[in-house]
Amino acid sequence: MPGMNSGLSPGDPTLVAAFRSALLHQGAIALIMLVFLWLLWAAARTWRPAASPGTGGATAEARARWLLRTGFGVLWIFDGILQAQPKMAGGLATQVMEPIAASSPGWVQHLVNWGGTAWSYHPVQAGAASVWIQVGIGTWLIVAVRGPWSRLAGAASVTWGLIVWVFGESFGGIFAPGLSWLTGAPGAVLIYVVAGALIALPEGAWRVPRTGRLLLAGLGLFFVAMAVLQAWSKPGTLSGMVAEMARTPQPRFLSSLLSGFASFATRYGVAVNLVVVIALAAMGAAFLTGRPRLVRYAMWSGIVFCLADWVLVQDLGVLGGLGTDPNSMIPLIVLFSAGYLALTPAVHEAEAPARAAEAKRPGARSVAAAGALALILLGAAPMAAAAVNRTADPILALAISGDSTRLNIPAPDFSLTDQNGRTVSLASLRGKVVLMTFLDPVCTSDCPIIAQEFKQTGQMLGAQAANVELVAVVANPTYRSTAFTRAFDRQEGLTTVPDWLYLTGSLGQLGAVWRHYGVAVENLPAGAMAAHNDLAVVIDPAGRIRQELSSDPGPATSSTRSSFSVLLGQYAKQALRQS
Amino acid sequence: MSRGPAPRIRALRVGLALACAGLAAGCGAPTATVAVTRPPAVTGSLSTSLTTAQGTWAIAVMGGSAASHDNFWQLFVRRADAGRWSMVTPEGVADNGGLVAAGGNGSLVVGFRPSQELAYSPLATSTDAGLNWTPGLLDAALADTPGAIAVGPSGRTLALLQDGTIEAAPTAGDAAAGRWVPLATLTALAASAPGRSCGLEGVSAVSFGPDHNPIAAGTCARPGAAGVFTDVGGTWRSAGLTLPTGGPGRGTVRVLGLTAIPGGNAALLATGDGLLAAWWDGTRWTVSAPVTADGVRALGFGPGGSAWLLGGGRAETIAGAGSTWRALPPVPAGTAVLAPGTGESYDALAVAGSRLTVWRLAREAWGKVQQISVPVQYGSSG
Repeated sequence: MPGMNSGLSPGDPTLVAAFRSALLHQGAIALIMLVFLWLLWAAARTWRPAASPGTGGATAEARARWLLRTGFGVLWIFDGILQAQPKMAGGLATQVMEPIAASSPGWVQHLVNWGGTAWSYHPVQAGAASVWIQVGIGTWLIVAVRGPWSRLAGAASVTWGLIVWVFGESFGGIFAPGLSWLTGAPGAVLIYVVAGALIALPEGAWRVPRTGRLLLAGLGLFFVAMAVLQAWSKPGTLSGMVAEMARTPQPRFLSSLLSGFASFATRYGVAVNLVVVIALAAMGAAFLTGRPRLVRYAMWSGIVFCLADWVLVQDLGVLGGLGTDPNSMIPLIVLFSAGYLALTPAVHEAEAPARAAEAKRPGARSVAAAGALALILLGAAPMAAAAVNRTADPILALAISGDSTRLNIPAPDFSLTDQNGRTVSLASLRGKVVLMTFLDPVCTSDCPIIAQEFKQTGQMLGAQAANVELVAVVANPTYRSTAFTRAFDRQEGLTTVPDWLYLTGSLGQLGAVWRHYGVAVENLPAGAMAAHNDLAVVIDPAGRIRQELSSDPGPATSSTRSSFSVLLGQYAKQALRQS
Repeated sequence: MSRGPAPRIRALRVGLALACAGLAAGCGAPTATVAVTRPPAVTGSLSTSLTTAQGTWAIAVMGGSAASHDNFWQLFVRRADAGRWSMVTPEGVADNGGLVAAGGNGSLVVGFRPSQELAYSPLATSTDAGLNWTPGLLDAALADTPGAIAVGPSGRTLALLQDGTIEAAPTAGDAAAGRWVPLATLTALAASAPGRSCGLEGVSAVSFGPDHNPIAAGTCARPGAAGVFTDVGGTWRSAGLTLPTGGPGRGTVRVLGLTAIPGGNAALLATGDGLLAAWWDGTRWTVSAPVTADGVRALGFGPGGSAWLLGGGRAETIAGAGSTWRALPPVPAGTAVLAPGTGESYDALAVAGSRLTVWRLAREAWGKVQQISVPVQYGSSG
């Protein structure tokens, strides 16, 4: 999909190191914030002591709500921790989002590509943001027990869950063929969204069995619908999926278990499907009755059934280095268990005096909730700032080209001919920063991409571009006349770029420049492109080389092109400041 | 013991099956009573050979990679005074997009088709049978057809572009410096009187006629009409090639190849009945009998209006106007291109990865005469 792919390996060491560093920095900031909040709370407590136990009119939180809140709080924190896996920054867009969206309709792919592009332009910020937002939401759900703070946490869970469901799960694959409850339909995060919406309900709603009945009725209908869907599934689909999951890197006993089940499902596909259909239909019917006894049986059977599916089909959902959540079965268990508890609120509430006492420390809880909110903002703010900026993070360019070499040596002078036939010497460009590279005008791969990066650099520099000269020197021993530099300029839309010079000369003149700047240029036989190394130098206004970097554009995706432009722009600005 | 379905159910199934079959048949039945016969499937390829005063040239793709950027087109020459082939691919440009060559005025001009990020076509010209090359420039994309370049006796050069435009460079020097002027666009040619008359759909080759005027040839929508036009004083006129609608010209006609020969032109046409050769002496056309064209993947011309085609392990040649197609013995495996030799002899150039094997036809049998190991630069265009 265009844009989504940075082209870099998810395990690229530069990206991984930058991601780890960002997490450490932001983690340190989070720690400082939490300590500050704790101090603030402690000071406030000294000034105004906490209410003594037994005072105040707090009532216990409904057990069903408690289960949803803590259950999904723990799940969000767990998901946040999974987002901190090293490959996540570089791999989520290409290894998770893109494959999931691939089988969905074009409009879904288009939408997901928009999100994936934002991620691939700022993989470190996006990766870190996901960690802190999810840890923050989880913490918020756990610590905010009562009142508006708690309901807001539910709303935050809904909001973030919908974002993840749309962009991360391509709407849970509901628009793609082969939808199956067994493999996670209609998306694990949609269950988080439902749970968040329930937590956001007024607390009074949990004191009547009606909420439980409605929740269970909804779940009952869902299970029945999934049973119908399962009945229509193609034979062999399940065994294929399980066999695929077994190939994920994981402990051998797990892969053996999955392979065994895949063989079993291949041999007894119809029987397995029949069991699943009957189980789903039975659970659905039991939930629809709303009778506590039947629901209890269905709940326990459902727990066993879901756990079996979680292990045998979903492969725990978290393995392989790019697992983002434990998939749908665990959240589903929490959800229908909460439904059962909500059906019988009176019984369980009577057993909750401890939690009633716990709920009487609103000050501490509010401060902790504020801390959790700060965590979310800690992740979201840099990502929001990065997303507003339509250029990519220079870390991608650094990952491709390696660290640039800082220099402070005189740039060898030369005198060549520009694309318009005028003689240009490097000395004549004194007073300006010169971003210089070497381009083959008949190159089929790197050079046009590098030219675009230079062009984009000029655009990014804005008013400062007037102080920067973008210079390319021909790197082809044969195809080097001004006819070719002009043709290249037309091809790349460089004819109207101010301060763009594409210089050429005799073979002797060019050879001297190539030699002085360490660029090896030679023709290769048998229809190959002329070979040359990709190099860019940054020359300050005094004519001294300040930076030298490999300008090899690497995978040349839109994000890496933008990233190189940002990096070159940064170097140009540095050279301007140094002058 | 398994039991068959009950008779009533069986009858129902038979009825359903018949209904389905009827529906399927109904869906598949033709709705039009007249159908225009399309030319047979001929896989377009730039693999070809041509003969100039300097020698015989052959173009073939080598590399054997699934990735197009690891396959490189090569130019070989068997110089007029030599019996052996040499690789003379011009250096300096990646030629993964293909090579197109044309001879004339004592030189050979090679055009590089665009590939990957390159959008225009560099050129290379040799006047010493490929020993040295002079760079040239066509600031546009050359068409993907072996007849996309033509060089006239005066050095005037024609280029057919990807979008069907024909450009002209008055001299070889202009071609080298990139000074080309548009001669005709596809739209203009299709809107001209002969273009409208034949329902011109596309241009596939350019050449020069016996009077040294530019010629363009392509595909016409009107059955039996062959789109060969000549530019006389700035006006495009039909070259007068019309095939009888009931005979070999039945259906639409596509010009696959066009070349200048002494005193005229030769063309290879794909028609509804097969592939046929046609020769023009400036006043009238002579057309050969058709030969089966299915599976043809390479074709070319030899000296004196001879022509060859290659496909599916078979090869056919025709010596010139008035002669008939001759089937050659089955060509060696991997044969990518044929090149005319002395008399009725042919060389078959077979490609296997980076190795070219030359087989020569003698006494109705192919004998291996040469092997060239080409230093294919795998990975250099990635």
